[in-house]
Amino acid sequence: MRGERLVKAIILLASIIVLLIAAGMVLSLMTGSIPAFKEFGIKFIFSSDWIPTEGRERYGALPFISGTLLTSVVALIICLPLSFSVSVFLGEYFKGTKLAAVIGSMVNLLAGIPSIVYGLWGFYVLRPVIVNLGLSSQGFGIFTSALILAVMIIPYASSLSNEVISMVPVQLKEAAYSLGATRREVIFAVIIPSASSGIIASYILALGRALGETMAVTMLIGNANIIPKGLFSMGNTMASVIANQFGEAEGLKLSSLIAIGLLLFIITGIVNYIGKAIMKRLQ
Amino acid sequence: MKMKKLSLIITIASAVIILVSCKTGTQPADTGKKVTITAAGATFPMPYYNQVFEMYTKNTGILVTYGGIGSGGGIRSLSDKVVDFGATDAYLTDDKIKEMPADIVHIPTCLGAVVIAYNLPGIDELKLTEDLLEKIFMGEITNWNDPAIKANNEGLVLPDKNTLVVHRSDGSGTTFIFSDYMSKISPLWAEKVGAGKSLNWPAGIGAKGNPGVAGTISQTEGAIGYIGSEYAFAQKIQIAKVRNSSGNYIAPSVESISAAAKGAIPDDTRAMITNTDDPEGYPISGFTWLILYKEQSYDRRSKAQATETLNLLNWIISPEAQEVTQKVNYSPLPDEVVEKAKNILKSVTYKGEILMK
Amino acid sequence: MKRIIELDKSILRRRLYRDKQFYYAVICLAAITTLPLILIIVKLLEKGIRQINLSFFTETTPNTLEAMVAKASGEIIPGGILNGITGSLLIVLFACIIAIPVGVFAGIYLYENQYNKFSNVIRNIADILQGVPSIILGVVAYSWIVVNITKGFSAIAGSVALSVMMLPMIIRSTEETLKMIPLTIKEAGIALGVPYHKVLFRILIPSGLSGLLTGILLGISRILGETAPLLMTALGSSVVNFNITKPTSAVPLLIWEFYNDPNLVDLIWSSSLFLMGFVLFINIIAKRIAKKWKIY
Repeated sequence: MRGERLVKAIILLASIIVLLIAAGMVLSLMTGSIPAFKEFGIKFIFSSDWIPTEGRERYGALPFISGTLLTSVVALIICLPLSFSVSVFLGEYFKGTKLAAVIGSMVNLLAGIPSIVYGLWGFYVLRPVIVNLGLSSQGFGIFTSALILAVMIIPYASSLSNEVISMVPVQLKEAAYSLGATRREVIFAVIIPSASSGIIASYILALGRALGETMAVTMLIGNANIIPKGLFSMGNTMASVIANQFGEAEGLKLSSLIAIGLLLFIITGIVNYIGKAIMKRLQ
Repeated sequence: MKMKKLSLIITIASAVIILVSCKTGTQPADTGKKVTITAAGATFPMPYYNQVFEMYTKNTGILVTYGGIGSGGGIRSLSDKVVDFGATDAYLTDDKIKEMPADIVHIPTCLGAVVIAYNLPGIDELKLTEDLLEKIFMGEITNWNDPAIKANNEGLVLPDKNTLVVHRSDGSGTTFIFSDYMSKISPLWAEKVGAGKSLNWPAGIGAKGNPGVAGTISQTEGAIGYIGSEYAFAQKIQIAKVRNSSGNYIAPSVESISAAAKGAIPDDTRAMITNTDDPEGYPISGFTWLILYKEQSYDRRSKAQATETLNLLNWIISPEAQEVTQKVNYSPLPDEVVEKAKNILKSVTYKGEILMK
Repeated sequence: MKRIIELDKSILRRRLYRDKQFYYAVICLAAITTLPLILIIVKLLEKGIRQINLSFFTETTPNTLEAMVAKASGEIIPGGILNGITGSLLIVLFACIIAIPVGVFAGIYLYENQYNKFSNVIRNIADILQGVPSIILGVVAYSWIVVNITKGFSAIAGSVALSVMMLPMIIRSTEETLKMIPLTIKEAGIALGVPYHKVLFRILIPSGLSGLLTGILLGISRILGETAPLLMTALGSSVVNFNITKPTSAVPLLIWEFYNDPNLVDLIWSSSLFLMGFVLFINIIAKRIAKKWKIY
């Protein structure tokens, strides 16, 4: 009995620590962003200005918010069919085979590539391809960044999905087969519904990764502080502008950057909420 | 049983590692000296600092660690008192010094420049006037065969290609020096864009870091941008000659950058030397400084720590270290500036007492 | 009767056709997914394999002059990344020491308390933390630890920043994996009178070990390659350092230095190869462990 209470206390403590860390972060962010909100008010969120010249400083977050949302959502859309196929491939069709082990490790390797290397690879390899395809004159832009983001988040989406798909109890699958279902029907009627919670969790995590990615995006997006006009226009994201300007920022600019960080926090929460709500509807 | 043994091994191993990590650290040439020096700041002089700090560590056994986190980061670290000194490409104005916890001094360490790099195959001798620079970088001239460029570069066959301005997406001292020069030579620029470590650019695309700008320029025909000299000289990239205030077209070089520093420099060495008066000087040059507190006895800081910090700074302005600048594509300080720096070092105190005799 | 049988047959044919279609689509897309990885590895090998030799792993970073001289004469750059390797290992180790217990236990809490409001809050927090850019975590760790606790740049500040980055993956994969274990197994243990902590550590965790390790692995892979938070916390170092209260180097920090130095650029590719090799290595180890401890 004592053992049980001790364990219950430890796991509760761990959760409280997580809560405290998040609360501490939000507090730090809020204190840092007060000067910016005091100066610009709520208009900060909707303004497209970004004028760092001393004496005339004016900042607004709208270009970055739109850039972040656009790149991350497009990245998730590109990543979805790819990572879904990989997780079904590894967790169901070739479950337990050597091939699955090799491909699984290869996909996990994608998570280990430093983001600066993704940026460089995207710059030297991906960008010329986009230019040659005639999609954009310089190769920089929302689409290129979304493409590299999609590659970066594949391991997050597929690894966890793969694990939960392979853990669906064999009896459930056997029951469906015995009723005459084809493999594909078993996947869609049995495996996905029963693993749905884990699959959704993995995509939310992948989306989170895309929202916060800095280095790779900053090398491919063109860093134009404008609201993107189309899929192939240049733009900028919240994480990218924070990383680029933070080292040299001070005063009002620093506060604006921290305010953008706070906004990213909030937007991540909102996007996650919408994603989960959509998933609930679809079920 | 297996689980218990494994967890026991893990616990003992972790305890050992934790104990070891909190006590030891390897020191090069272990002469028993416990003082280590930490500094952070600008990325502009980072290759030079890494080089000379390593030399210093080899010579004296004192470990010096430098982190290139940006001038802003350097100033912040000094303000938070987590480093011995900071490094910055833009000197602090009197207002900014007032915001620091205590009075600080600036020690210049070397000279660097901002070069105008471009990509036009076959065209190696591009000459740019102040007016051309303004028009190109503000987006008024958009093609290389514009008559204004042609008029200034007789004999060059300029192609029909769009210009692409490449600037820095991250805040940097390189941008600061460039924009300071542009503000001096172009009232339009001073009004619309101004000077600063990051700007509201009227034209072009942003790339990250010197490598980003250089990479973009070398991959795009017709591109033009600005790069820090220490980076450009090590690459094979086309560099334009810029007209200085005396009317001469100067190419950036170790000599022309040093020439730009000849002239009246205030005693505290806080000066921007862009658009220099010197006829042989390259007009887009600048100092970079190290900043430290004038009164070194703060926060239980030991006298030994303060003394060693000053010794390091004294060494950096000495001929031995200044010689290294040229080898890594920076320029050494002129003698007058070294004198002034020495005087500044002599004014640094510990509990009111001057440290450097 | 015949019409019904024919209708049945055609429906069956369509279902089988769709089944085959899906199978080939999956294989196709999975192959396409491995394409970028192969391209990246080929590029890394092409540019980086020259620099990899024994001294790469046993010597500290070269300075820019040595590199310039070597480059000019066409030789490989001397020196290696030992200070980065030991630093990365140290920082990641401590990040794991912080993140793994907190993450796994929080995940267990979420599993045991599926539907209460507090769990929902924690779950959402974990998902949101995943989206925080690494530089912000670096800034926060700077103001908490560098300024207030170690009064200087230190490896432990870097570990703290990185541990927060690992938490979401570990928490969520622990929870989701445990949820997939059939309730019957847990109930069987309880019915046999097994005390709760033994049910947890002897039955549930071993059953879900594969999933747990996946989350931990992804977390480690991610933090191995992160630069921004370390720039503001661990700062870097030119020598090997095992003292967590002092500035320490790390491979991604070295990659950042190499990126900014025109003479050392070539070392970026070999350093990345090292990181990938290391990730592969721990992947293989994790698979071995999961196989050995699996009971379900």
